[in-house]
Amino acid sequence: MKRVLAIALGVLTAIGGFVDIGDIVANAESGARFGLSHAWVPLVGVIGICAYAEMSGRVSAVSGRPVFDLVRERLGPRVALANLAGSLLVTVLTLGAEIGGVGLALQLATSVGYLLWVPVVGVVLWVVLWRAKFSLLENLFGLTGLALVVFVIAFLHLHSDTGQLWRQATHPGPPVGEDWGTYWFFAVALFASAMTPYEVFFFSSGGVEERWSSKDLLTSRVNVFVGFPLGGLLAFALMATAATVFHPLQMSVDSLSQVALPAAVAFGKLGLAAAILGFFAATFGAAMETGLSSAYTVAQYFGWAWGKFRRPNGAARFHTVLMVSILVGVAVLMTTIDPIQLTEYTLVFSAVALPLTYLPILVVANDSGYLGRRVNGRLANGFGLLYLVIVLAAAIAAIPLMIVTRMGGG
Amino acid sequence: MLIGFDLLDRQILDRDGEPVGKVDDVELAVDGNGTPYVAALLIGQQALGDRIGGVLGRWLAGTARRLAPAPTPGPIRIPYDLVAEVTSSVNLSVSRDLLPEPPLESWLRDHLINRIPGADNAG
Repeated sequence: MKRVLAIALGVLTAIGGFVDIGDIVANAESGARFGLSHAWVPLVGVIGICAYAEMSGRVSAVSGRPVFDLVRERLGPRVALANLAGSLLVTVLTLGAEIGGVGLALQLATSVGYLLWVPVVGVVLWVVLWRAKFSLLENLFGLTGLALVVFVIAFLHLHSDTGQLWRQATHPGPPVGEDWGTYWFFAVALFASAMTPYEVFFFSSGGVEERWSSKDLLTSRVNVFVGFPLGGLLAFALMATAATVFHPLQMSVDSLSQVALPAAVAFGKLGLAAAILGFFAATFGAAMETGLSSAYTVAQYFGWAWGKFRRPNGAARFHTVLMVSILVGVAVLMTTIDPIQLTEYTLVFSAVALPLTYLPILVVANDSGYLGRRVNGRLANGFGLLYLVIVLAAAIAAIPLMIVTRMGGG
Repeated sequence: MLIGFDLLDRQILDRDGEPVGKVDDVELAVDGNGTPYVAALLIGQQALGDRIGGVLGRWLAGTARRLAPAPTPGPIRIPYDLVAEVTSSVNLSVSRDLLPEPPLESWLRDHLINRIPGADNAG
């Protein structure tokens, strides 16, 4: 019974924890501008992250090695160092974007400008990662993130023109007034928001810290195969409500308050409150995950002692990197860059970095030296290879699309 | 066993599964019959930087060398006799308390982390 509860909690946490500022921004923007014509992208993205998170969870559980260990073992120190630089840049920028998201959520709740909140959030985040019982907070923010269910209920409540939405979803392509360039730019951003590399860094490192063994494969798989798709559903609800409320009016979404609007239209103040709470929890949870992931990748590349379960003075280098990452994230925001714009950039850079993360996972998941008889079966390899091709295409297309469409501006 | 594939860049764990470092490089020696063998594992950014090479590698090794304590300026060296088993990690037969501590870890702990309240409590 206790085991069932633990799994249920893990799943709920995975649902709430799946959504971050990237998902919020990408889904709402695409829903407003393109209706549901990108509906297939989150689906493709969720299947991809499930395939690779399952592999990395299995490698962690059976061999005790987290993802970045594999990156260095399989790519060698030079390529892995370049990979580290890229991943770290993306993860720290994402951390900045998440902190900005927390600030924006607090601005919505308090009317105090987000820039004033940013340093406060940075300090609180650091204190939490320095001192607090991490698993408790992870569950707390994961569960609170479920408040985003309000967007699913709002969608059902809003009497949307389902016929119209269905037509958009089944006829992928740019609506009137948009072109194929912007269509594909947003497709890449949405795909990257579902498959952000920090998710596998965090997931596999968490598995190692909790000393998963082969017995925990079930827990890992249930978390991945139930939690992530349901989390993806929350993200998709943001797209669907934006497609319902904004797309018919030809409005675009460029602030967090507009993303929350559909919930307010459906349920008034209560809906708005739930949306803000959900944004806050989702972005703060993701800030914890990205902060830790930055430090995980560096520590795992160099072989340092790492982990949130260690005393900070038993992992001084790890905690120093963590501290510096948060400082850099806060500093980026203090340049007064718009957090939403920062999020868009991080999604593009994530797309570029994706293959470097996923290739070593696929290689090691086929290595019986690590996994014994738990190596990939045909199904896992089929999906793995297919997604490697997709990820590579997205990585190659990301920067040219960004330049041609001027960040999706058209 | 292939040194490049099965040994280099693997995580080294001590007797209790605590991380010691990576196999950043290996030291080879030649026995009486002229057969080379792995004499020691080298750990730390000095060994790693020398292996990476180039400007970045020199910088990495140089900064690490500056931090290293005076009497033993080279990289941390673990005699291969101490290796119990090589699996997905390199497992040692001793506790890491018996091995030299990486200088960057000591420096950051003494100058930064230990000055912050709560550095002793696990999260």
